Amino acid sequence: MARVIVMDLSRHNTVLVGHDRYFVLHTEGRALLVLDRCPHRGGPLSLARRTPDGRRLSCPWHGTKVGVAAVKRTSLPMVRSGDEAVVVLPDGDDEGGEPISVIRKEVLANLPPDAPCAAESAGEAAGAVGAGEVARR
Amino acid sequence: MTITTTGRSTAFAEYCAQRIFQPGPEVFIEGNPFRRPIGPPGTGDRDFSVPATEAEFLSSGQLIAGRALCNAYESDMILLPAEGLGPVKDDFDLFYGDEVRRLRDQVRPGLERYAFSFLDDAVPVPAVRTLDELQAYFLAEVGEAGAPADASGNNPAVDAAAPVTGTMRAITECRHPEEAAALHLIQLALDALTEASAMARNLGGSYGAEQSELFKIFLDEFGYGVYGAKHSTIFKEMLASVGLRTDLHAYWNFYLTSSLVGVNYFNWLTEDHRGMFRYMAAVTYLEWLFAQGFADTGAMLRAVYGDRVDAKYCDEHAHIDIHHGRMTYENLLLGLARTHGELVIPELVRGIEDTKLLLRLGDADFRAQIAWADTLDDHTRAGASLASAGLDDAESGTLRPDDPFSTGVHDTDRLIEVTAGEVDVYAWATENPHRLGKGDVLLVPRGRLHGLKAASPEARVTARTAERTSHDG
Repeated sequence: MARVIVMDLSRHNTVLVGHDRYFVLHTEGRALLVLDRCPHRGGPLSLARRTPDGRRLSCPWHGTKVGVAAVKRTSLPMVRSGDEAVVVLPDGDDEGGEPISVIRKEVLANLPPDAPCAAESAGEAAGAVGAGEVARR
Repeated sequence: MTITTTGRSTAFAEYCAQRIFQPGPEVFIEGNPFRRPIGPPGTGDRDFSVPATEAEFLSSGQLIAGRALCNAYESDMILLPAEGLGPVKDDFDLFYGDEVRRLRDQVRPGLERYAFSFLDDAVPVPAVRTLDELQAYFLAEVGEAGAPADASGNNPAVDAAAPVTGTMRAITECRHPEEAAALHLIQLALDALTEASAMARNLGGSYGAEQSELFKIFLDEFGYGVYGAKHSTIFKEMLASVGLRTDLHAYWNFYLTSSLVGVNYFNWLTEDHRGMFRYMAAVTYLEWLFAQGFADTGAMLRAVYGDRVDAKYCDEHAHIDIHHGRMTYENLLLGLARTHGELVIPELVRGIEDTKLLLRLGDADFRAQIAWADTLDDHTRAGASLASAGLDDAESGTLRPDDPFSTGVHDTDRLIEVTAGEVDVYAWATENPHRLGKGDVLLVPRGRLHGLKAASPEARVTARTAERTSHDG
């Protein structure tokens, strides 16, 4: 059964679906909800930095360069209206018991390649777990 | 700190006298990671107050100290048998108990001084003082070791088609290549079955970006929290695929002296945090070399065992250590030098020089062991021809099948003569030991690990010093 959530992009930029995590990647003027997992060894691409040409993400675990085009292909279907986004989640387990939550966390992948980031100097930004906006259909 | 007082000597004797540190009748120790014999009765009387020299690297003292130190270091790791704790709960309580830990803390500093002081004299530390000099020094060293940086200055990609050379080739050329390969896997097992446990001691605390870099490497070692991907798990699968036991320290009796010293070195540096700079540099050097090294190991194992070996462990290291070599070089070795400056660079260089020496000595020990163990029939003929040339220092003993079994090394070439019954000689971890009958004399070069077990209801053995100096080849 298809599952849909509504999230407020002004408050949240990350969705946790069971063991999978998706983050909002801004690219070419669009916001996409993409899988936060490096295809090499599963590193968190949300904490990757852009390469100088801006076309690839450098994974923080092993420095693997992942093309933004490839990352875009992992995006979930999403319809946006202002800050409100309706997202279709992937099929879950049969019981529908997979926990789903939305949070806000530091996403380094959206910074310009040479921009300093808080996480590098002062540790991970606090993530607030969203209380609402999760709905099932 | 030295072991010079009666009190300290007594502490070592008491440590060795613990039930779990004394040998039992078994050759292979299964299902009990707490049973780890240090040596036969009398071992505890040894004096370790004078540090071993480089020339004594393979001495009986280093073997005994190495086993005792291994016990000491691993008693702050959590070890549980895969089949359940039930049958060995008493040994668990003893291994981690107050008394053994008290004795451990008393004997360890003196044993460390005995075992590792030779590095101070044997390792000339090059005059490397600045960050630029450190970079040039490191790249020259890895180039010298056969792994020069690629055009981008990074750890080079693995050449999977490289011909098998050196020790790996020597294994394939043995008359008994499976036993030789197994002995190599057993030496790796000393560390690989608890892989990265020494590293784990350096994860805590607060030391900047270098701490996070080490943690990323640790994540790989521990398989990202997935048990099936943990390096120690895939190492077990490799052991099992070639019919070897997977219990921790099942092959305790077959760890070579050099293997114990090498693994203890990393435990020492992580136990005593003054050694952290040496440790980080040593890890950098090893990680850089491991990628090609494990590709070569995988090629050797496939040559020896064919398709039945599961060499995923080697393939994993041949891949991930390309990354680890780069990560440790750029962000640990150079990172620490950038952050802490020229004050720490000599210690970083020291770690690399120590590791180079330990690798060289370890390789020579292993090569000598397989060369001897592979030719015990030749050494039995050599023993017969030398039988009349033994010194007049014979020690005789009687062996029965259920007597405690332990392996050891002698500090001189020895002639072992069976004067009654039959005796099995274990020079590596084989199910088919070398059988000596009445009248046979085996030449055992100094430093060669071996154990004897009666193959008849009773056997009598005489050991004498041979009037030769070296047969390690």
